[in-house]
Amino acid sequence: MDSWVRFNAQSQAKERVIRAAQYACTLLGYTLQKGGAAAELRKTVSQLEAHMSLSRKLLRLGNSVEALEAAKRAIHLSDSVLRLCLTISHLNRAMYFACDNVLWAGKTGLVSKLDQHKWSQRSFRYYLFALILNLTRDVYELRLLIECEERSRAARSPPSPTLPTDHSLSPSAPDVLAWLRRQLHLLVTVLYSNPPLLLDLLKNSCDVFIPLDRLGIYPTGQGFVGACGLASSVLSLLTMVHPWLKLKP
Amino acid sequence: MDAVVKFTSQSQGRDRIFRATQYACALSIYLLRNNSERKNLVAKLKSLETNMSAGRKLFRLGNTVNSIEAAKRTMQLSDRVLCLCLTAANMNRALYFICDNVLWARSVGLIRDIDKERWSLNSSRCYFLSLVMSLTRDVYVVLQLMTQRARDKHFRQKMELQLNESPEVAEAVIPHLDAFLFLLLESLKSHPAVALDTLKNICDLFIPLDRLGLYKSNAGVVGFCGLISSVIGIVTLAQPKLRLKP
Repeated sequence: MDSWVRFNAQSQAKERVIRAAQYACTLLGYTLQKGGAAAELRKTVSQLEAHMSLSRKLLRLGNSVEALEAAKRAIHLSDSVLRLCLTISHLNRAMYFACDNVLWAGKTGLVSKLDQHKWSQRSFRYYLFALILNLTRDVYELRLLIECEERSRAARSPPSPTLPTDHSLSPSAPDVLAWLRRQLHLLVTVLYSNPPLLLDLLKNSCDVFIPLDRLGIYPTGQGFVGACGLASSVLSLLTMVHPWLKLKP
Repeated sequence: MDAVVKFTSQSQGRDRIFRATQYACALSIYLLRNNSERKNLVAKLKSLETNMSAGRKLFRLGNTVNSIEAAKRTMQLSDRVLCLCLTAANMNRALYFICDNVLWARSVGLIRDIDKERWSLNSSRCYFLSLVMSLTRDVYVVLQLMTQRARDKHFRQKMELQLNESPEVAEAVIPHLDAFLFLLLESLKSHPAVALDTLKNICDLFIPLDRLGLYKSNAGVVGFCGLISSVIGIVTLAQPKLRLKP
């Protein structure tokens, strides 16, 4: 119970719980539609989803500042690739939150005659850029860890004598398969021993389908978007409940 | 900027800012109600107030547990009066949050067959009782401080000096009242946390008093009192020294 109180005290945690509920409503709405449920129930679910979406926009009103502060911190990182990826990702997030605030003002009627579709598309574009940069960072970290693992394996055991010594010949199919199997095994080992990286990779991969669908680049449908949103929210909540699962920096 | 980020990252910090904005809107709507040129602005303020109120109800969904945990903590206090007042206040707040959650479910359409007016009155009653218990605790703390001060020899000398300085004060009843007021003001000045908490609870009290019909004021007074109490809440959260403990 004490941990719930501490958890609840964080504004971000509340926002994540509401996000999980919102995408659960999206998924529920899709399954109800497929299952041919009553129109009134579907209307209630979609109203609940809209209410949660608007409330989350209210809760996110100050997040541009947080994203800018995070960008300022990311500029001081030593690794240049990480520095680039994270700084630009945070700046894109700050722009996404700014567009989101404008959308909130439009939806509550503070700003009249707002082209909601245009601003919505804008905000999803910034969100997509931020996610692509996060994924780039994940892939970069993964590559570094795989290279490290490869080197440590080569140091532990000398290379097998069954490898072909004549490199001028093009590699045959079994060699390619063996190489693929080895790479896959390396990948699985690295991911298994680095849960924060695995969680972050999964989270970003799930999240990326949402703007891809909304921008019309890769439409997948309400059900898939709902499932992806729910999965990424749950993973994000996991990293909040267990801070050691969060990928740093 | 860093302090602002830290403040808003607390769920309570954001909620108090929203509450202050909500009551500022209510006050502005009341002040502009007769102004025909500003009808557009009044409509926008009404929409903003409704949105903030609805959003805050959603964010309060987990607070019942918080209040029950707080009640469990205050049950272990050594001072019996404090223990009683604070536990009763926290339990009433927990009941208020339960009624509030039911009202939220009604407003989004999850529950349909409940009497909204009855539940709304019940939630106001629980809130009123929790405020009364908090005020009782404030009065108890102030009385304790006053008796402590009255026993202090240095303070008594200071008081004698203060009272003898103004000879035009009438005799009989007034010297006692003057001494009492002086003691009260000095105690409050030396413990700003108690003064702020008392002021906050008194301001908050007008809201359920109006809602329950016990002391009908108008929307402007309610808005103003709500705004003052929210601002005091923000100040006590930003400066933990000004927060009354336990």
